[in-house]
Amino acid sequence: MNNRRFLFWTLTPGFAVLAILALISIAGALYFSVMDRSLRYPDYHFAGLYNYQRLLSDRRFLNALQISATWEIVTVVGSLVVATLLSVLIFETVKSFWIRNLICFAFLAPVLLPRVAAAFIWRFLYSPSLGLINYLVGLTGLGPVEFLADPSLALMSVAIVDIWQWGLFFTVIMLKLLETLPRDPIEAAQLDNARTWEIHAFVTLPMLKAPIISLALVKAVESLRSFDLIYVMTGGGPGTATETLDLYAYQAGINLGGRISYASAMSILLLVLTTIVFTLIWRGIRKWSV
Amino acid sequence: MANIRCVNIRKSYGGHSVIENLNLDIADHEFVVFLGPSGCGKSTMLRMIAGLEDITGGTVSIGDRDVTHLHPGERGVAMVFQSYALYPHMTVEENIAFGLRRQKVPQAEIARRVQHVAGLLGLESFLQRKPKNLSGGQQQRVAMARAMIKTPKLFLFDEPLSNLDAKLRERLRTEIRKMHLDLKTTTIFVTHDQLEAMTIADRIVLMRAGAIEQQGTPSEIFDRPATRFVADFIGSPAMNFRGCVVSRDGGSVSLVAGSIRLEVPASEFDGLQHGAKVEVGLRPSKMDLAAEGDLNAISGKIILVENMGSEAQVIVDVDGQEMSFVTKAFRTLEPGQPVSFSIEPASIHVFSKETGRSLRKAG
Ligand SMILES: Nc1ncnc2c1ncn2[C@@H]1O[C@H](COP(=O)(O)OP(=O)(O)OP(=O)(O)O)[C@@H](O)[C@H]1O
Ligand SMILES: [Mg+2]
Repeated sequence: MNNRRFLFWTLTPGFAVLAILALISIAGALYFSVMDRSLRYPDYHFAGLYNYQRLLSDRRFLNALQISATWEIVTVVGSLVVATLLSVLIFETVKSFWIRNLICFAFLAPVLLPRVAAAFIWRFLYSPSLGLINYLVGLTGLGPVEFLADPSLALMSVAIVDIWQWGLFFTVIMLKLLETLPRDPIEAAQLDNARTWEIHAFVTLPMLKAPIISLALVKAVESLRSFDLIYVMTGGGPGTATETLDLYAYQAGINLGGRISYASAMSILLLVLTTIVFTLIWRGIRKWSV
Repeated sequence: MANIRCVNIRKSYGGHSVIENLNLDIADHEFVVFLGPSGCGKSTMLRMIAGLEDITGGTVSIGDRDVTHLHPGERGVAMVFQSYALYPHMTVEENIAFGLRRQKVPQAEIARRVQHVAGLLGLESFLQRKPKNLSGGQQQRVAMARAMIKTPKLFLFDEPLSNLDAKLRERLRTEIRKMHLDLKTTTIFVTHDQLEAMTIADRIVLMRAGAIEQQGTPSEIFDRPATRFVADFIGSPAMNFRGCVVSRDGGSVSLVAGSIRLEVPASEFDGLQHGAKVEVGLRPSKMDLAAEGDLNAISGKIILVENMGSEAQVIVDVDGQEMSFVTKAFRTLEPGQPVSFSIEPASIHVFSKETGRSLRKAG
């Protein structure tokens, strides 16, 4: 067997399974989205674009869209900012090889936790009556803060958990990246009288532009899949303050209404939207990074 | 502009000592070359002067100011690295201007100076390119432009030419030398290439295992090596060494080894007692084919003639050991022929067998 055939026969089954799974589920969703299938009635009929039309005037859907966008931006930017600041701080202050490795080890722990476990830990930490955080807040003389029950705080409180997991993980990656950089340009910058923050802002971080962009993309994709974290911590509440698109789709399709067709339409819209947005971002990055 | 003074410099990594009590004075406007074999501490010394390496003990002053604990950026030095160390994501122009931008020099002034320096080094047409789109020689010039634009008190070069081909190296060497004649900035240049050192230096500081072995002008180092190590390190083809026995006969002193018998003026040397064992060094380039009746002729059989263009190195078997000399009249020489070559007494070097120091009297 020559090399090409070998590649063909080893890759094809895997790709075929993946393609079939993806295509069948998308085709299924597409099919249901133009019906009026609901768990309440056994029969269903063709409904055209009715579900899509209703979505565009559904305020809860538009709210979820906005929450999802906010969630993406806050968690991606937050993780990267935390990772950048912490990694530079460690790079500049911790010179001992052993302590660095110890810190890396500790920073890897959160992301190794299952999301649901992380969510429960933080729900406990955030708790107004039992939580450690509110105990500390209490020491400063402020009353208990309802981190998860206050609509204006809930989304940020959940985002902090996400950043705690991924920001610390990315810190480790960025620290390792900083360590791989050649020393010479950094020393040249020192001789050019650049202060430490200037060296990082103008020399090291720009040199790491490509890997940082990759981290951002990875995190953007990952943030789309935060259903479990949000579901366990707030269930989308209070009200709809933390209800992202996937949570709403779940609520509409399975939990409450059983309106399968409506939820399918929502999923299809979500798929189209993320594809478009990511394509645009990808193009923009490619143009910008040459 | 500034003079440099290093007093009792020590450097150790962990417990491992790399430089021991090194003292060095460099005058204003001087062009000094640190020369020595790999690992002798040249770069370490340079980096301590630049402030890139902590100094374990001793003090460094630049222009009579103690800079031992000063940040590299505040010492007024500019350095050109062997790897060039350009900022890869910046254009040539940004690379050159980076230092001035950090010093908050006004934009118009920066633009003017970038143009000026780029003009001097022939970089005008590359200003908008990234370093990766430049050849090695062009990158080297950018690195020099980046150093020059700061008008430093002191230029430091760490083997800046060793990644270039021979021809370009020669040209840039001349350019660096010319630049020094123009700007007169005090310069320290590190290299392990002795030819480069000889051609470019006002003064050579020859280092060995973290200490200065000898310092002086290129001719002093070449003609009056203080130790066998220096004599061996400097000069190409390398010096011939022979263990000889001193034989005093009235007023004349001879150095004898097998069929070799070299007469030297006794007054110019110390410690040539009768019967003493010494090491004699003969530079190939100071020897030539012997004429009839020449003093200090050495005879042997030709092993090999290495043509170097206008002259050749002739390798000769003398009493079973190889020696070499350089001659322009090599066209008639063939391997296997007997040959006889000679050296002037003034070019004979005698070293102590024990200490390796030259026995020639100072002055
Ligand atoms: N970071 C370090 N840790 C331990 N030892 C070091 C370190 N840097 C240099 N050394 C040692 O110090 C000595 C001098 O090194 P240095 O780089 O100054 O040599 P050099 O004269 O510049 O040699 P070359 O011509 O090869 O560049 C070497 O023996 C080297 O092993
Ligand atoms: Mg070196």
